[in-house]
Amino acid sequence: MNKVKIFTAGIDLGSTMTKVLILDGEGKSRAQVTGATGAEHRRLANKVMAQALGQAGLSLEEIGYIIATGYGRVNVPFADCQVTELTCHARGVSHLFPSARTAIDIGGQDAKGLKIRDGKLVDFVMNDRCAAGTGRFLEVTAETLGLRLEELGELSLKATSKVEIGSTCTIFAQAEMVALLSQGRPLAEILAGLHQAIASRVVKMTRGLKIEADVVFTGGVAQNAAVVQAIKERLGHDVLVPDEPLFTGALGAALLAREMALKCLANGDNIPKKERRLEEASLYEDY
Amino acid sequence: MATEKKRPINRLKTMYPLRALIDGMYQRALTASRAGQPVAWCMVNWWQGDPILKAMDVATVYPEDYGAVCAAFGAAQAYLEGAEADGFPAHMCGYARNCLGYTARMIEVGEIPPEAPMGGMPQPSLLLASGALCDARYKWFQALGRYLDAPLWVLELPHPGVKEALMVGAGEGNINFIAQQLGEFISFLEKLLGRRMDWDRLDKTVDNTMEMNRWWHRVNELRRARPCPMHSRDFWSSMPASLYMAADPGETTELYRQMYDEIKSRVDNKIGALKAPERYRLAFLELPPWHSLGFFNQLAERGWNFVIESWAYHPPQPLDLDRVSDPLERLARYSYHWLTGYYPKANEAGERWGYFAYPYLEYVRDYQCDGVVLHPLLSCRTATNHLMMVRDRLMKKLKVPSLVIEGDIVDLKLFDPARALSQAEAFEETMDHYKKLRKEAGFGW
Amino acid sequence: MAQDRGMDRAKAIYQNRSQRAGELKAQGKQVIGYLCAYPVLEMMTALDLVPFRILGDIKEPISRADACLPTVVCPFIRSALDLALKDRYQFLDGVVMAHSCDVAEKTAHIWHSYLRPPYFHFIDTPHTTRNSAVKQHKRLLKDFQKTLEQLAGRQLSQERLKEAVKAHNQQRALVRELYGLRKPDPPLISGAETLEVMVSLMSLPVDEGSRLLKQVITEVRQHNSGPPKKPARLLIWGSIMDNSSLIEMIEGLSANLVMDDTCVGSRFYWPDVAATEDPLDGLAHRYLVELKCPRTFRQADPNKASKDYQADLEYRFGYLMEYAKEWRVNGVILQSLRYCDIHGYEVPQVKDYLNSLGLPAIYLEYDYSQAALAPLRTRVQAFLEIIGQGNF
Repeated sequence: MNKVKIFTAGIDLGSTMTKVLILDGEGKSRAQVTGATGAEHRRLANKVMAQALGQAGLSLEEIGYIIATGYGRVNVPFADCQVTELTCHARGVSHLFPSARTAIDIGGQDAKGLKIRDGKLVDFVMNDRCAAGTGRFLEVTAETLGLRLEELGELSLKATSKVEIGSTCTIFAQAEMVALLSQGRPLAEILAGLHQAIASRVVKMTRGLKIEADVVFTGGVAQNAAVVQAIKERLGHDVLVPDEPLFTGALGAALLAREMALKCLANGDNIPKKERRLEEASLYEDY
Repeated sequence: MATEKKRPINRLKTMYPLRALIDGMYQRALTASRAGQPVAWCMVNWWQGDPILKAMDVATVYPEDYGAVCAAFGAAQAYLEGAEADGFPAHMCGYARNCLGYTARMIEVGEIPPEAPMGGMPQPSLLLASGALCDARYKWFQALGRYLDAPLWVLELPHPGVKEALMVGAGEGNINFIAQQLGEFISFLEKLLGRRMDWDRLDKTVDNTMEMNRWWHRVNELRRARPCPMHSRDFWSSMPASLYMAADPGETTELYRQMYDEIKSRVDNKIGALKAPERYRLAFLELPPWHSLGFFNQLAERGWNFVIESWAYHPPQPLDLDRVSDPLERLARYSYHWLTGYYPKANEAGERWGYFAYPYLEYVRDYQCDGVVLHPLLSCRTATNHLMMVRDRLMKKLKVPSLVIEGDIVDLKLFDPARALSQAEAFEETMDHYKKLRKEAGFGW
Repeated sequence: MAQDRGMDRAKAIYQNRSQRAGELKAQGKQVIGYLCAYPVLEMMTALDLVPFRILGDIKEPISRADACLPTVVCPFIRSALDLALKDRYQFLDGVVMAHSCDVAEKTAHIWHSYLRPPYFHFIDTPHTTRNSAVKQHKRLLKDFQKTLEQLAGRQLSQERLKEAVKAHNQQRALVRELYGLRKPDPPLISGAETLEVMVSLMSLPVDEGSRLLKQVITEVRQHNSGPPKKPARLLIWGSIMDNSSLIEMIEGLSANLVMDDTCVGSRFYWPDVAATEDPLDGLAHRYLVELKCPRTFRQADPNKASKDYQADLEYRFGYLMEYAKEWRVNGVILQSLRYCDIHGYEVPQVKDYLNSLGLPAIYLEYDYSQAALAPLRTRVQAFLEIIGQGNF
């Protein structure tokens, strides 16, 4: 079974960034690229795919099976199948950390809690309605305070104490932070409060799953050391962070694609590839 | 709650012993529980069930009140999160979520949680729910079945429409239904507690309850005076003794009598509840921000006297039950009268919502209110549903304006006292304006 | 499609209910609007009045209702009230509401106050199922009868009422027959189409509805345009769904909705009214005790010194196990409208029960708007992937 060399790809079309990961015939990563998703969650995704293919030195036809995931996963003309990012993240996390039983993923516009058993997703919670507790909270703060998104974490780690941000809503929180600044509270302390608010919110959401160790933290926001720290404090124990927290979804999708393809081959079935076109999707599904 | 050096509101001296008696409710329940006596968790049932429990020596604790206590002590958050983690949607009654979270924690810990305010609520031997006014008040207790195996009884209180209640035989039919249910409740209690009801004792307890409320009603009638001698803050502090039957009705009656005397003396000497002159008389609907009552002090400094509040908290208008010998029938008539007492007048006035909404048309007129503060609550639909209609009716029929200030019963961050105070001046202008219009139209105030 | 004339007619009525109401009025019928499942239809039918279920419109943004009802209440009821304030229920000759949930009860008074329909009656349905409550319910129905008689200008005879009970029971039996066609794999009719048929029945006089239903059943048995086989066979439980958007979203995934426990669905039609000597006895019992909606307080045995939680769950929800068995359900969608308390309190308990059966379930809260569907789609799809009935 493992003698069959089959390349697979996973495409995670997030609301802002698309991540593509291609696995080689042994199931190891051969290419990883991230780029802007573009308008309507798809317009530039094909360019990212093209880049990844270039990096891997492969053509689209040479990929045995392709799974799309993420917000823009529906109707991707160069994918064979679409699977939710919940299932894909769980798969990717399990692969990187076989001891994982809980995963927390904070992206640009949503946050997810995943319950993982035996390498599979068994339950989840999701917040995709409210900006508080997502990367958006950080983005808006950076804008409001005239800072770069990347510096927020660093700056907040300098604080010796933190200010509590009471507002649960992003909009009110911005006003609250500006007010605190004008009262002379140090910027680092305010930012520390902000990071704590995000951690608080996400951990609270995840408690519905009865959190069990090991806990893995992924997503774009996992690159912010202060959020990682705040989550550790909130949980009262350590969390694991992958080296490349952005790619767990795409990795999971590519691994699932490999699983599916190998299963078909073992059963003597055809792999259900679709007719793929490396172009932007023209249809935008309502849901 | 902090020492009020300036004290813009003249708090009644007689409020303090009442408050102390009420606060003792939690300790009394804990003591009873430790002594192996039965303890009931009750929903407010407007005197249908509580006198019966008291006559059978069952200690009562009120999770609705405990929700407000936890919120005021800043202890609610952990319980709310616990309830949500257990799958209860976040929009539901804050008191319910607080209680569900508290109960889950109590069962998990195996005893009253050490951090619980006021010593906590002991594990109950029974749950007494009521369908009056809102569904949460029996669905919540039903949901407690996940954590507690205490038996549950749901009291029924008919909620007829105005026209339907006035149909021939409807009132009596409703009352018979309530009385019959109360008989069934007593059978249930006798089986559970393994003893019989002492009907003489029940008779006395019912009498004492009505006597207590008669005095409480008289106390509140005195507030019609100008200036109003008793501020809503004193009402809210004193009302749990009646509504929650937090103590023995005999003891409470004595304290309400003393309160009556104190207020009568103020009325005779034209002493108002405010240090400042009474510039505006207001009504407050419905549940106040328990954790931020200092807010009213700041309004008091501006001469805002809150003279009347939530209809649901008030005792019924007096009812002559002397010729009714059966205590269950007395309770039935009394409770039904609490809900539907205003229906005939509502019908005459062409109003269709005879409880919760119509009574304010009388309150505002009888207490000569210049304005109304409406306090919509995010997680209490029951206390919020009627507010738009009330605002509308008060304006159309009585030319009395309303000020809307939002909040919640447990999420204390939603109430912004600073923002509310910033609207005070503008609302004063509005109240002045409508006062003029009322004068021109020949209204009495 | 020429073969599916009944289905087409049902769909046309579903899409344009007020047109149908207008036609009925032109025939000289009096149309009485009712909210939810508790107003007793048989009593209206027996006096030649046409009961017409009041529903909302998910496509109409709510604008007028905000003046009378706060935004933090059931969006379905807000929508219905909003439509009335926009004169979309102008054609009703009267309105009947019941104490189904506390928001519906309060809305009844608001509706009565702001819309002043020519006839209005509020049935204060009790909350419990004890015998005393059933007696009270019967007494309330007698009062309802009085005002109906005033409206109709004649007395309601027991014979006519018994006939009406038969006619409505016949329709119930036909609905169960239609639902039976969802038992095969794949089901012969989709969940979305079933809902459309239900809505059309709630917009027609009972006999006309039954004739349409017979036609639909014949067509469904014979046609081969039913839904394709899909790995997931789901049951949907919860708050009222008066339009098919949520169901269509679910059926757009790898699932067929083969059964429901909602009130524009099986809750409305299960079970029959028993044929009692005094028909009001059967009606009072069926509409209070047998109609299964969480607004009614049901418990196994109050007199036990200590509650047995599992026994209580079985008493309250055991019928779901029957549904799951007969319709071969392999997953359950629990949904409630935002702000729906009666279903909200119930969710963890229904989940406990389904867990004890080993039946997987997911809870969705939704907003009564089409925009709200996109995030729900991901959740439902992830649920299907978890239970192994996904795309792959």
